[in-house]
Amino acid sequence: MSTVRTEEMLLNVGPQHPSTHGVFRLVVKIDGETITEAKPVIGYLHRGTEKLAEDLNYTQIIPYTDRMDYLSAMTNNYVIVHAVETMMGLEIPEKAEYLRVIAMELNRVASHLVWFGTYLLDIGAMSPFLYAFREREQILNLFNELCGARLTYNYMRVGGVKWDAPEGWIDKVRDFIPYMREQLEGYHQLVTGNEIFINRVKGIGQYDAQTAINYGLSGVNLRCTGVKYDIRKDQPYSIYDRFDFDVPVATEGDCLSKYYLRMEEIRQSLRILEQAVEQFPKEGEIMAKVPRVLRTPPGETYVRIEAPRGELGCYISSKGKDKPWRLKFRRPSFVNLQILPELLVGENIANLIAILGGIDIVLGEVDC
Amino acid sequence: MEQYLTQPLSLQTFIIFFASAVALLLLVLGFVTYAIYFERKVIGWMQARIGPNRVGPLGLLQTVADVLKLLLKEDTIPKKADKPLFLIAPIIAFVPSFAVLAVIPFTDKLHFADLGVGLLYYLAISSISTIGVLVGGWASNNKYALIGGMRSAAQMISYEIPLVMSVIGVILITGSLNLIDIVERQREIGMWFIIPQFLGFIIFLIASISELNRTPFDLPEAESELVAGYHVEYSGFRFAFYMLAEYVYVFAMSALTTVLFLGGWLPPFEFLSFIPGIVWFILKFSAVVFFLFWVRATMPRIRVDQLMSLGWKVLLPLALVNIFITAVVKEFIA
Amino acid sequence: MLGFAKGLAYTFKQMTQPKVTTRYPDEEIEMPDRFRGIQHFDPEKCIVCNQCARICPTDCIQLTGKPHPDPDKKGKVINTYDINFEICILCDLCTEVCPTEAIVMTNNFELATYSRDELFKDMNWLNENNTNVRKENSKNLQGGKKK
Repeated sequence: MSTVRTEEMLLNVGPQHPSTHGVFRLVVKIDGETITEAKPVIGYLHRGTEKLAEDLNYTQIIPYTDRMDYLSAMTNNYVIVHAVETMMGLEIPEKAEYLRVIAMELNRVASHLVWFGTYLLDIGAMSPFLYAFREREQILNLFNELCGARLTYNYMRVGGVKWDAPEGWIDKVRDFIPYMREQLEGYHQLVTGNEIFINRVKGIGQYDAQTAINYGLSGVNLRCTGVKYDIRKDQPYSIYDRFDFDVPVATEGDCLSKYYLRMEEIRQSLRILEQAVEQFPKEGEIMAKVPRVLRTPPGETYVRIEAPRGELGCYISSKGKDKPWRLKFRRPSFVNLQILPELLVGENIANLIAILGGIDIVLGEVDC
Repeated sequence: MEQYLTQPLSLQTFIIFFASAVALLLLVLGFVTYAIYFERKVIGWMQARIGPNRVGPLGLLQTVADVLKLLLKEDTIPKKADKPLFLIAPIIAFVPSFAVLAVIPFTDKLHFADLGVGLLYYLAISSISTIGVLVGGWASNNKYALIGGMRSAAQMISYEIPLVMSVIGVILITGSLNLIDIVERQREIGMWFIIPQFLGFIIFLIASISELNRTPFDLPEAESELVAGYHVEYSGFRFAFYMLAEYVYVFAMSALTTVLFLGGWLPPFEFLSFIPGIVWFILKFSAVVFFLFWVRATMPRIRVDQLMSLGWKVLLPLALVNIFITAVVKEFIA
Repeated sequence: MLGFAKGLAYTFKQMTQPKVTTRYPDEEIEMPDRFRGIQHFDPEKCIVCNQCARICPTDCIQLTGKPHPDPDKKGKVINTYDINFEICILCDLCTEVCPTEAIVMTNNFELATYSRDELFKDMNWLNENNTNVRKENSKNLQGGKKK
């Protein structure tokens, strides 16, 4: 009996593919539908932000950070101004801190909503995508009123924020919180109990805490393995120590637990928003007294914050000029993506999409 | 129609056959046009959108414009494709979908071929389409298309079996494969087969959605995984043929569901029988079509290995149980 | 099976919910006042201080000045002022630093053209782009940052 000759197939997933969330390319070797080897190729969206920043003064860098993680530009804005403020030792007015926290938490909700929608779209359900974007639209409208842009906010400045909240804006945020809670219930009704969805993601892409730490994962990708690590709690920056919120943790380390955690984080962000809106000071400055030309003292600094995707860090090495000598962003998507080849071996094509989606990458940030 | 079918073929009968086939084709094309429109509208409403509304009043001409665009597009053939197979595959997929319509009775008067083995004919012919899909996926010489074609072959063959098994209960009760007899039998026993054959109905519904390659079983064209699956290389009117085949099958399968389980043209209550049967048929038929769209707007896609185990490990045993129970009950009553 | 039923009930309920689609090209979208659209430039106010060109992160502003036509007066007046909208990111920094509000944001945002050349806007064009000009102009920053 002659044996049938079989061979492995080399499949290029991306850079143009509906589920690679941008211009990410994955070269996979498949045997039937089972992946035997996976090699991620990144860099299609590289713009050299870090190098460009060496030739820009600190205010000019802020609009560039908008374009890194374009789904949560507020946290990116914050990390650069936070780094410069730390170096210069600036005191930030109360009101500005509240505005920053409200903006960042709203952005976290918006970012997780996009993840929810696109993840379900990857899994094959199209309606949740539209519902998530309907709610996100409300947040974007709020941002549009606050800072004049829907995606690239350029809202924060070294020493404060650019705009005070317009009249009635805080009330709109207050009204948004119960609305979002109600919609979240609807999402659970639509998706969380769905047997197909649970079967699709349960136990898929599992890894343990040690692997996650070895790869340097952060954010939900780390918390889903049982490590309770949230910089907002463990190393509070801004005014996060004033709010009462929980850090949701799961132990399974699979895609389903990531889904639960992100949905839960939306709820926790809404809790923070509720408290921030309640405590919001009516009077006060929104800008600290800063010199006209921002010069950081010589030396280096690394600050980190909890972005929706994980630990977002900013390292500045300064020689006392108004421009950084070297600037480095620790982008959570980039670091989290590194575990992908290990997770993919042995899975099939359908799981590839589920695992890649579960990591939640933003290509603008991966390639920077 | 029957008296013509029994006569020897002459020029006159040929013209009548031809004219009625063209009439049916036009009817089906009209259905497909508005099924796509209706689908986009329904899914739009469910997703807080309004659906197509730009072309023509209320967007009614949207599909016409889309089809026109497809017909005007260049018919690209990949350089490395297997040309003859690539060209013929969409036709292989479409022709059976139209051929199965011959046995569907719309009312007791309005029907085409009245075959003794109507149901068997339907199931046998419809499985030919799989070849069209498989050949299209193979001939494109594209990896995504190949995987899509393979998936579709595996899926359609696996689900053919529970599909056939699930209707055996109906056949047992009726004692005939003729679709008109099946409806008449439902009149005799005074209830639609959805009640005594509820399990069979559920299995049939799931298996038929899978046969139609629709969400949640749209793995062969799984957009987020395989880009477009087996028709990824097709464009222009060849792509339109695949599209057409898919929607003609929606028509055929919905009509078949109506006939087998929802009493065809029978009114739900006897005192409503003054309303013509065709109205009842259209109402039930539309409800089935709506259900398909509704499911599409709600469900995520099932995974390929789970699809297989669902078919073989759940639906097939359940269908066998259904046959067994039906046979026992029938024996018991008789 | 309960999960399916709940999901189906949810999508069915959505059919009666208000639709969120806008009729955008037919009906204009009202942007909030702070919206950062295409700049309006007022040559009369400009004092050729060059701050906008210097703060611009993408170097898309080019301007030249000339001596004041009235020889008694000091200073310069603007001669040419161009913004290249191929690379402008509408970041608002130029309007933020402008001491005389010669350059301000408007709510107009429709920039699509058939040719890249049309994206190169000169002083006249920017001056004529005077509708929907932003009312509130970075006042908050003036206390802290400027002078």
